[in-house]
Amino acid sequence: MKNIFERLISEPLEGFFERFIQFLPNLLSAIFLLIIGLFAGWLTSKIFCRLLKVLRMDEFSERHGINNILLKGGIKEKLSSLAGRLTGWLVFFIFLIISLSSLNVPAIERLLERFFLYLPNLFVAVIILLIGYMLSNFFGRAALIAAVNAGLKASGMIGRFVKLTIFLLAATMALEQLGIGRETIIIAFAIVFGGIVLALSIAFGLGGRDIAKEYLEKKIKGEENKDEIEHL
Amino acid sequence: MKSIIERKEIQEKIGEIGTADILVGIPSYNNARTIGHVVRAVQAGFAKYFPDKKCVLVNSDGGSTDGTMEVVQDAAIDFQSILLHHRVLPAFKITTPYHGIPGKGSAFRTIFEIADSLNVNACAVVDSDLRSITPEWIELLIKPIIEGGYDYAAPLYHRHKYDGTITNSIIYPLTRALYGKRIRQPIGGDFGFSGKLARFYLTKDVWETDVARYGIDIWMTTTAIANNFKVCQSFLGAKIHDPKDPGADLSAMLYQVVSSAFDLMETYYNVWKDIKGSESVITCGFQYAVGLEPVNVNVDRMIDKFRLGIKELIDIWRGFLPDGIIDFLNRAGELSKEEFYIPDDIWAEIVYSFALAYHKGIVNKGHLLKSLTPLYIGRTASFVLETWQSDAEEVEEKIENLCIAFEDKKSLLIEKWQEV
Repeated sequence: MKNIFERLISEPLEGFFERFIQFLPNLLSAIFLLIIGLFAGWLTSKIFCRLLKVLRMDEFSERHGINNILLKGGIKEKLSSLAGRLTGWLVFFIFLIISLSSLNVPAIERLLERFFLYLPNLFVAVIILLIGYMLSNFFGRAALIAAVNAGLKASGMIGRFVKLTIFLLAATMALEQLGIGRETIIIAFAIVFGGIVLALSIAFGLGGRDIAKEYLEKKIKGEENKDEIEHL
Repeated sequence: MKSIIERKEIQEKIGEIGTADILVGIPSYNNARTIGHVVRAVQAGFAKYFPDKKCVLVNSDGGSTDGTMEVVQDAAIDFQSILLHHRVLPAFKITTPYHGIPGKGSAFRTIFEIADSLNVNACAVVDSDLRSITPEWIELLIKPIIEGGYDYAAPLYHRHKYDGTITNSIIYPLTRALYGKRIRQPIGGDFGFSGKLARFYLTKDVWETDVARYGIDIWMTTTAIANNFKVCQSFLGAKIHDPKDPGADLSAMLYQVVSSAFDLMETYYNVWKDIKGSESVITCGFQYAVGLEPVNVNVDRMIDKFRLGIKELIDIWRGFLPDGIIDFLNRAGELSKEEFYIPDDIWAEIVYSFALAYHKGIVNKGHLLKSLTPLYIGRTASFVLETWQSDAEEVEEKIENLCIAFEDKKSLLIEKWQEV
């Protein structure tokens, strides 16, 4: 009975404890590295941000239109602060990788290896998302202004629809790049997009029948009480 | 400088003419209905006022499909009908399609090129949709150049109070405040200019910009003033023309004209920054009053468009309009038709704020200027309501007040311009 207890419970526990004791320094060093990473990231972010401010990076970006590009893409943060934060996160990320490697766990090492191979995809996906975000803002605003100038009451909705559609398209492309549910996402996007178009067609067809009739009548017969202002 | 006249027969025709004294250009695009009258008026003008000069009429066409070019070729004047009995040198006629970006500016470029090739002394350009043009227009546009020693003769017309609203509310007050010359119709469309100025225009590399489209008129006027060419105005009477294509997009038109004016502000900053106030320019021709066709205006629809703009675009404007203006616009959006009013100083500040935002590149230029459309429509509605009962003289007085508001606010513009 005692032998069975030792073989089934005590020995595995001792073995685990022994391996844990052997692993503990690695774990502690990993946690330590992570804390250092957090601090280093925060510190680098602050120093980098201050340094860029001293070097008048914000004025430079203002003069060369970089701020405008960011603003046009909906990013209101100043370049120095943005670059500082990105550098901080990069430093933290490097420490995270070092800390994970210091664990010396084959499974984590394999995972890290796969992660590094996957990294280019992630980078491309982020770029696609970023460009998609900027384009969605640009075209959304262009559609909004055009709709307002055409006097369409639903201009706000049109602008938001264009913005959302372009961003959805970019998100779909980014997810496809990451290899996440490739077919599912494309099919889902097609269904959602097709559904929206169908819903709009039905809505215009049924709900806007009178408006469409009135519009066509005006177009064919000519508008009554039309402005004759010659602007130029 | 590379010539854009590629057609062999045109080059041959130019070679055949050799040199000329006067050239009148008519840009056209599907104007078969009206261009015949314009061509006859020009020919009569040549015969009546410049019988001893070698005159050339150039039609620069944008690919009309309604037989515009044929109408130009066939149009002929019966000299007996205009009681002309003196000997007249035959006038030459050139009809050519232009190349480049489709637009009035590209048509003018071809006219300038031909004027340069023929080494003419004086040129004029007149619109092809004019119904009120008379032979006297040619005299009034050309004589100040040939006999008065002027380089540029801008038109001065009597127009209906609601005709030329971009001119009245933006271009005239802005040009006058910036460059200090009271040229009442800086984008009138019918101008006289010297051969020297035509050659100067050709040296500028602007033919791929909005100058090639509706921006040409403001560009010609500003270039002449800013480069110290001698300018005057010629009173031409009433301006009555075919209504523009109803499909023509107002915001595109506004964008082309205003962006050209704002681009010129960049080019000539060193010229306008030191100019204070404004001075009148010599006006040639005998001035008289004319009756004008009434214009139909739907103010309710204009105010609706303004309100829609306030509701949807205020977030874009918030990025560059002063807080006081934003507050005013929010309040104006709530006003009833009877109370609706956009004061001159507010409007001047709005236009200057758009110019500054354009200069600083705060918002994409296309978005920025197209977002001006609802504000411009609102200002036009305010002007219509304000002048509903006014006669021409009172309307001119109100436009004068607006110009003074633009001149008063100019120091603010200069101050903020330099901040960049």
